[in-house]
Amino acid sequence: MRGPSLLATMLIVALSALPVRAVVSVSIFGPGSQQFPIAIVPPKGDAALGQEFARVLSRDLELSGYFRVLDPRTFTEDPQTAGVTADAIDFAGWAAIGAQQLVKGTIESGAGTVTLEVRLFDVAERRDVADSGRRLQGSRADVPRMAHRYADQLLAVLTGERGPFDSKIALTSTRGGRLKDVYVYTFDMATPARLTNEHSITIAPAWRPDQRGVLFASYREHLPRLFEVDVASRAVVQFSNDSKTYLGGVWSPDGTQVLATREDDGNSDIELLDRWGNVTKRLTDHWAIDVSPAWAPDGQRFVFCSSRSGSPQIYTMAIGGSEPVRVSRIGTFNTSPAWSPKGDLIAWATRTGNTFQIVVAGADGSHPRTITGAGSNDDPSWAPDGRYLVFSSSRGGGRTLWLADRDGRTQKQLTPDGGDDTSPAWSSRSE
Amino acid sequence: MLALCALVALGGACKKKGPSPNENVGEQGIGEENLGGGSGSLDRARQGLAPGEGGPLQDVHFDYDSDDLDETARGVLDQNLQWLRDNPRVRAELEGHCDSRGTIEYNVALGARRAKAVKDYLTGQGLAGERLSTISYGKELPLCQEETEECWARNRRVHSVVGGQ
Repeated sequence: MRGPSLLATMLIVALSALPVRAVVSVSIFGPGSQQFPIAIVPPKGDAALGQEFARVLSRDLELSGYFRVLDPRTFTEDPQTAGVTADAIDFAGWAAIGAQQLVKGTIESGAGTVTLEVRLFDVAERRDVADSGRRLQGSRADVPRMAHRYADQLLAVLTGERGPFDSKIALTSTRGGRLKDVYVYTFDMATPARLTNEHSITIAPAWRPDQRGVLFASYREHLPRLFEVDVASRAVVQFSNDSKTYLGGVWSPDGTQVLATREDDGNSDIELLDRWGNVTKRLTDHWAIDVSPAWAPDGQRFVFCSSRSGSPQIYTMAIGGSEPVRVSRIGTFNTSPAWSPKGDLIAWATRTGNTFQIVVAGADGSHPRTITGAGSNDDPSWAPDGRYLVFSSSRGGGRTLWLADRDGRTQKQLTPDGGDDTSPAWSSRSE
Repeated sequence: MLALCALVALGGACKKKGPSPNENVGEQGIGEENLGGGSGSLDRARQGLAPGEGGPLQDVHFDYDSDDLDETARGVLDQNLQWLRDNPRVRAELEGHCDSRGTIEYNVALGARRAKAVKDYLTGQGLAGERLSTISYGKELPLCQEETEECWARNRRVHSVVGGQ
């Protein structure tokens, strides 16, 4: 067994109870608006693993914008001795320090297996919340992913939409040296981890839908070509044909085709490749720049950047072939589009003065709104839930990755200062 | 087993290697770096050097988001053309570069157009096309990093690397 399905052996069981319904409705509660005060108590049992679970879960919930995670130093009880069931929890004590919600449970490790049981309690109701109880089983190394899974479940319970945190972000970064390599970031990491060792320039990383590989363009053999790195083994294989120059490629949602930017004699166009890297169709054939294709989730259309009107603008087109339809109507420089996995929205970067900002609009370009303002921000990539975006931002100095919700109400720094983190690509949810 | 390895690998501790054409020596292994030959801007970066600027062939500069050759650029290229005629065994690689504004992939495409515009001008004046090759580095190998008009203008260029004598 190989591949990125790290939780292949992890068991997830919904714990039954007689719980209260979720007290929160999406209408009064959105990321960045009203934030819910929540206490996350390290599960009782293996103290180190319990702390790790609480740390990762806290960060995810903080990033979501829906929660204000209470400082554990204000907790008045010892998590190793206090009760973890509704009849044994001191709800009045938790209310006194301002907690409206409470995560509690147990974590046991033995014989290489970790068993976690957690629930969300409503402090005012003095009961657990419907569908919030989970038993998770896996290895010690799975604990961060158990936390991501649980964070995603809590967002499902509280907002009706599963969270995006059990997933990965591929990016290019110079954190390892002078030149850009492909990196991967998960929400439990302090800094991104390096996947490639190209001693060259790498650009445009993109996930294979099964998350086993990341496609990217590399200058390792002079002119840029497409390569794919195997995430588990870190082996790199050439993907595109020797004689052609490519600036990037993206796998179709079903993993059978690749949309690629081909550069030929100074001109760039969009091509469709099969899974072995052979050209099956030239989708655009124009003297202007055509770059940065991104798939619609139905796999039938794509969005790309073209300068055919005289300035870089965003267009959509059918894979089967059609006239490109321009969707960006404002701004003189619009680039790096991304189609929401829900299909309804497209994000891109637009130039305002000497900076770029992230725009989110309907898939037809309607109702565009700028969701960033600080620094320069580009290369947006959608979360698998279609609710959040990751992008590269210059706010705070060098380039780092930031997360925002699609309305821009919550903006959170993901990777620490000191990197040159660019071209993030958010994976689908891990299996 | 390999699935577990993948998770550990993210922390840099998993040393299992696949059949990579590029022997991937990890942080804790023997560091081996191709210091390369060549004097192109990427070769120089691999050696820890700044990108090349000028040389026997002068750099040609461009307006923002443009691959047009203005009068100044054509004047520079006429001098470069004379040098190439005087040194008939020299080949040149034309490197397209861009300023930091705009996205990475777009700028690689723009740099390719700049290099192509220079190549077309030189061949249009009668220079043999096989003496010229092109490559674009977009905004990946800048001469300077400041977000100022002066630095942007310096980075919007085609740099010519001579070789193959």
